[in-house]
Amino acid sequence: MWNKIKSWLDVRYGTNAIIQKQIQEQILDYRIPKNTNIFYTLGFITVIAFCIQAFTGILLLLYYIPHPDHAFRSVQDIMTKVPYGWLFREMHTVGSNLMITVLLLHMVTVFLMGNYKRPRELTWLVGGLALIVTMTFGYSGHLLPWSQLSYWSTTVVTSMPTAFPIVGDTIAHILRGGDHITGTTLSRFFELHIAILPLLFLTLMGIHLFLIYRTGISATPFGKQDTESRPLTEYTRKAYPDGYPYYPDFFRKQMYMTMAYFAVMFFIITFFPALFFPPEANIAADPFKTPHEIRPAWYLIAQYETLRLIPNKFIGIALQLFLAVLFLFWPFLDTQAEKNLMKRPVLRGVFVFLLAAWVVLLFWGRT
Amino acid sequence: MKRRKFLTIILAFLGSVTSASFAYSLLKFLTATPATGVNSKKIVLHRNEVPYGGAKNIIYGDTPVMVINRPEKGFIAFVRTCTHLGCLIEFSKSSQKIICPCHAGTYDLDGSVESGPPPKPLTAIPIKIEGDTIIIG
Repeated sequence: MWNKIKSWLDVRYGTNAIIQKQIQEQILDYRIPKNTNIFYTLGFITVIAFCIQAFTGILLLLYYIPHPDHAFRSVQDIMTKVPYGWLFREMHTVGSNLMITVLLLHMVTVFLMGNYKRPRELTWLVGGLALIVTMTFGYSGHLLPWSQLSYWSTTVVTSMPTAFPIVGDTIAHILRGGDHITGTTLSRFFELHIAILPLLFLTLMGIHLFLIYRTGISATPFGKQDTESRPLTEYTRKAYPDGYPYYPDFFRKQMYMTMAYFAVMFFIITFFPALFFPPEANIAADPFKTPHEIRPAWYLIAQYETLRLIPNKFIGIALQLFLAVLFLFWPFLDTQAEKNLMKRPVLRGVFVFLLAAWVVLLFWGRT
Repeated sequence: MKRRKFLTIILAFLGSVTSASFAYSLLKFLTATPATGVNSKKIVLHRNEVPYGGAKNIIYGDTPVMVINRPEKGFIAFVRTCTHLGCLIEFSKSSQKIICPCHAGTYDLDGSVESGPPPKPLTAIPIKIEGDTIIIG
């Protein structure tokens, strides 16, 4: 049966040649460096995470009503009245947080292994932009349930740009569609969440994969030296003739990590179903009553706390912008050939300091 | 049995159970209708609102409903959706019948099909008479 379908397609469209040449030779037979580890699969896991978000998001759209009068009720109905609605919403909410976690881990491990270095500067930049888009996915989706948590955490987040002089108020106004969070804000965030950001993310993902494909995979600097030719004068795709084939060796790693991702997701759904649903998430939005403790989502807490700690708001936000630009364009600034962070004490120190500061701010903000 | 075959069978079994349970929950999720019935609160009408031999159209929950005061048979309520292609049925006082204006389907006052293309009777809504009031739902 399968052979008949293949033959039917082949005589019409020459699909066998495509499968043989493109998929078999270019992807399945591609050799992976021997010293890769499971952290190399995190990009693939991000793609899987995005697919889960898209799938569960489309399902939730069947019952969600993006209107201030109905949004909260419709989400509560999904959780309590629609059969298995709770499952798909939990998968979507837990999945969104896990996707950001996986992307952050991906960036950190790529940084630690020095795999952002030339010729992969653009791959890093596009990945960094994808992280920003994913975080925007997170906080735009945060408003949609129209709960007290959604309403007031969005108020807090959309107030952050107002610290910036001259254009700050305009940015906040554009985000909110007015001076306050209203139905217009809900419409804007809904559009951003389901129409603009998915397109942006898919575009970035496509560019990212294309760049990885063209440059070839970068090996780890651990155990065996893996330097790129310097100066870079001509294009070569990095190849490892003595490496492992992608299939089944690396593919098995990817499947293993996919199962681990699902295991973590369902562990949280089963044992900590309220992890991302504090009490304020179950109260309808009330624009006239601010809850006592309101914080943005965990991945924005460090930025929020920095703004609170630095007395001058402008300096606070300018510092954050500077760090974001530095983070995105770091491969263009770091021109040293050494990939192993263990052999670069200054960079290692700065990295550990920034990571520790981020963790401290995160826990400080949550307590 | 060889180890490889044993593991393949176990994996296939676990995979099938996981897929089937997920497919079941997905099917239940897709076929749910939380909007109808769930939010439908009871509606109370006074007897005088539905004249003898006449009918009154109301909205019950999100559903258009017709309450009919049938001569000698009493009150009855139907969902106004024609079972043919979903047009809204109308009550004809002169012929004492229920008619679909789209394709001339005709129902009697019990909701049974008399003529035309409707494949099945109208859906009845439970009602209760308490003194002078009619409780729908």
